[in-house]
Amino acid sequence: MPALPSMQRLTILQGEAKASADPAIEMSTILGSCVATCLFDPVARVGGMNHFLLAEPPAHQCSQKFDSDYGLFLMELLVNEMLGLGAARSRMRARLYGGANLNPDLAPIGTANAAFAREFLEREGIPKVFEDLEGTLARRIRFRPATGQVSARIVAPETAPTQKPLGRPQSALGTVELF
Amino acid sequence: MSATTATPIRVLTVDDSPSMRALLLGALTARGFAVEQAEDGQQALEWLATNEVDVIITDINMPRLDGFGLIEKLRASALHAERPILVLTTESSDEKKQRARNAGATGWIVKPFDAEKLTTALRRVIH
Repeated sequence: MPALPSMQRLTILQGEAKASADPAIEMSTILGSCVATCLFDPVARVGGMNHFLLAEPPAHQCSQKFDSDYGLFLMELLVNEMLGLGAARSRMRARLYGGANLNPDLAPIGTANAAFAREFLEREGIPKVFEDLEGTLARRIRFRPATGQVSARIVAPETAPTQKPLGRPQSALGTVELF
Repeated sequence: MSATTATPIRVLTVDDSPSMRALLLGALTARGFAVEQAEDGQQALEWLATNEVDVIITDINMPRLDGFGLIEKLRASALHAERPILVLTTESSDEKKQRARNAGATGWIVKPFDAEKLTTALRRVIH
């Protein structure tokens, strides 16, 4: 996927979800154990990408389940960003990337991220047309939201940012305003 | 001495996302609420035509009838004019919050929600 001279790069960081219909935008992210979802509506020609990492349970909890609430939030945020640009949920198609387990000595959070993303799409009825998940290698993803084109490339593990789960942002957590 | 059982607060959640409905159902039933669910504003309206709840929690972006439309239609009905309606949404724009307020929403909660804060808000708006 050759870069066009007028292309504007938009980096999607962990905890972000963005959508666009602008043919001059190329979204980019580097993934280790994180997962990126690329959604595309071919009729509205709107696409979007998120980048999430599930949080591990607190050490004092017996549960081994990862905290999926924040992943769910980022998925919904992505869907809503797309809807806001004229996409229809029924036309959305998904591609999933990332979820590597870079360090065999750590909990397989990449696998948990990948499983969450697959389950979310299945539950929501959004067809998954492609996945490049798990393994042990970092990936660089480039996504053109107006055309749905994706390029995925393996990169050196040190290229992937060392990321800790953001979890649910405490400052904005469930902000409640009663009128 | 006979034990009395408090009647649970009845909540209708309106959200087109099965994942979010499952999350709300789990969080609210675990805290003693009786939960009914609708997939969009239209289904909520149809259900409310023959059923009652104490409080409604609605998303904004939904097919057929969105959260704004649902609030406006409920407020136009004498039956639901005073019914507490909380908006639970990923939307964070002040313009949309104001629109919900103008339509007659009782409160605005930004996702990702905290179950304890949501519970507190629910108890506050029905008393």
